[in-house]
Amino acid sequence: MQMRISDIFKLAFKALRDRKLRSVLTIVGIMIGSAVILALVASSSGLSTGIQAQVGKIGANTLTVSSAGQFFAPGGSSGTQSYKLTQQDVNTIKSFQGVSDVIPYYSQRATISYASNSIQGELIGVDTSALFTMYRGLSLYSGSLPDSYDPSAAAVGYSIAFPTGSSDQLSINQMISTTLGGSTSSSLTFLVKGILSEYGRVLFSNIDETIFISLQSAQILLKTQYFSGLYVITDTPADVTTVQQEIESYYGTQVRVMNAGSMVSTVESITSQMTVFLGSIGGVSLFVAAVGITNTMFVSVMERTREIGILKALGYRPKQIMGMFLSEAILSGVIGGVGGTILGYALSFIIGGALPMFGGFGPPGQTRSSTTFTPVFTPELIAFSLLFPIGVAVLAGLYPAWRASRMNAVVALKYE
Amino acid sequence: MALVDKESPSRAGLAVQTIDVTKVYRVGHIDYPALRGVTLKIAKGELVSIVGPSGSGKSTLLNLIGALDPPTSGRVIIDGIDLRKLNQDKLALLRNLRIGFVYQSFNLIQRLTSIENVEMPLIARGVSEEARKSRSLKMLSAVGLRRQANKRPTELSGGEQQRVAIARALVTQPTIVLGDEPTGNVDSKTTREVLSYIVQVNKTLGTTFVLVTHNPEVSNMTHRVITLKDGLIEKEQYLQRIDSYTGM
Repeated sequence: MQMRISDIFKLAFKALRDRKLRSVLTIVGIMIGSAVILALVASSSGLSTGIQAQVGKIGANTLTVSSAGQFFAPGGSSGTQSYKLTQQDVNTIKSFQGVSDVIPYYSQRATISYASNSIQGELIGVDTSALFTMYRGLSLYSGSLPDSYDPSAAAVGYSIAFPTGSSDQLSINQMISTTLGGSTSSSLTFLVKGILSEYGRVLFSNIDETIFISLQSAQILLKTQYFSGLYVITDTPADVTTVQQEIESYYGTQVRVMNAGSMVSTVESITSQMTVFLGSIGGVSLFVAAVGITNTMFVSVMERTREIGILKALGYRPKQIMGMFLSEAILSGVIGGVGGTILGYALSFIIGGALPMFGGFGPPGQTRSSTTFTPVFTPELIAFSLLFPIGVAVLAGLYPAWRASRMNAVVALKYE
Repeated sequence: MALVDKESPSRAGLAVQTIDVTKVYRVGHIDYPALRGVTLKIAKGELVSIVGPSGSGKSTLLNLIGALDPPTSGRVIIDGIDLRKLNQDKLALLRNLRIGFVYQSFNLIQRLTSIENVEMPLIARGVSEEARKSRSLKMLSAVGLRRQANKRPTELSGGEQQRVAIARALVTQPTIVLGDEPTGNVDSKTTREVLSYIVQVNKTLGTTFVLVTHNPEVSNMTHRVITLKDGLIEKEQYLQRIDSYTGM
């Protein structure tokens, strides 16, 4: 003679429905806690995953060297006192032990336009044969890389050729117009020789929105002898730190050396701390929700003292009464957990869209466009955001439910 | 559960037996004796009323018989089962299987409909929804409330609410029904209806009724009137012979 589980939950549902507003408020509290945990943890692990994917493209044996003065002066508008990187610096760094190659580049923000399309991107002048060394996994979608001595030839990123939401697309040997940002606001015309495959972001640049020309072309067209930066490739990833120290001791504070790997690990430790921190905020809000459940349950038990007396008179056992009240808490937890998970899922995409990755922070002469990242939902995280609120609700409801089950029937029946 | 079902107490022929029961309520450091040694026997199928002034211990005695409250001393034996031997779970089971309660204030659960209220004792035993709906509806029909089955207590008159409470008390086919001023909150016409229904159930099913009342109209209908005063039985008065019921 056991009460049916379905009956227990039906009665619990009726009891919750009877106190709609209070039930809804309690459940909203649980939902917020669950949603916050899910959204924040998914977002920060998405951020972390995004960074890892980017560092994979650069390679752990890469350093970038840029003029220290230019770091705070974007678009190549360097102050007079800042150090200027020249071919001599390329040769100097090349001579350091552990350095396998030094690839100089020019970089400038640019607006690329053709037909009805206008794309805010970047112009990079670099030895095009080194392109696939710098960006691992990058390949040609169609056409060929621009010839070093053809100043009008260019290769464009995938998104420039095939912009989303536009019917106009680029094909090989088509002309495109490029307006440079920064100090030299001149307009240049290039002939598209190659279209690069879809690649995505590499730390500070979106390769898909970049137009590549040869180093020599850039030198002529931008009318400058000074490089925007140097890519330094070391023999092995282990050499990165020593090479960085060598460069820093040689140049002092005149240049800024960035070690992608170490920077990423710094960012990663920040994001993992952020995950813990944000997760705790969610935890705290769930704790607050738990206190809310306990409070609601106590009020409910008090209000229904007489009902508890009736149940006792009708022959409900203490365990059954406890189960009935506990199932109200469980039901709140289930609804809150499911609702919170859905809410958190939606919320994490909003956070992903609103939080720029590396926004307003980048190396000289390159764009500082922000990027979005995709939240990561592991099955464990989903299960956690579904089940944790239920566990919290059970714990919060345990004591009030126990109190209900222990009530003296005669006293409870007299309760007004 | 085995304990209640397997024993065959009905052979004793007694629905209720109390042996020198006392009940002392302690408030702060002061003891208030509500019952001071009550010994009585109520046979199966009897229709008994308990009368007496306020504070005489009527309701206390009813709560002891209803297994809602343990006596301070003495023994309560319901349907041959000594309540001292039962734990909370078994007391609850005994109430569920053998005892029905009808209260002055009806004690219906307000958010549930009439039929849901009647179903409540059956839910505790895990009766299937289909079975308990049909039993409850039959019971509501018997008290003339079939059409009120899906109404909530607030939509019913006092008399109707009391009939729902009676249906709830009887749906489990208990041995004993305990009424604490069952007609205390209803008008005289409804009182007569309720009483005639009680008498009818008592005669046809042999259900034992113990009714605490102030109302002579109620006590005059019963077989025996037990008068309590200051926690003791003052007198017992037999009004009718127990006959013409088919139970036992």
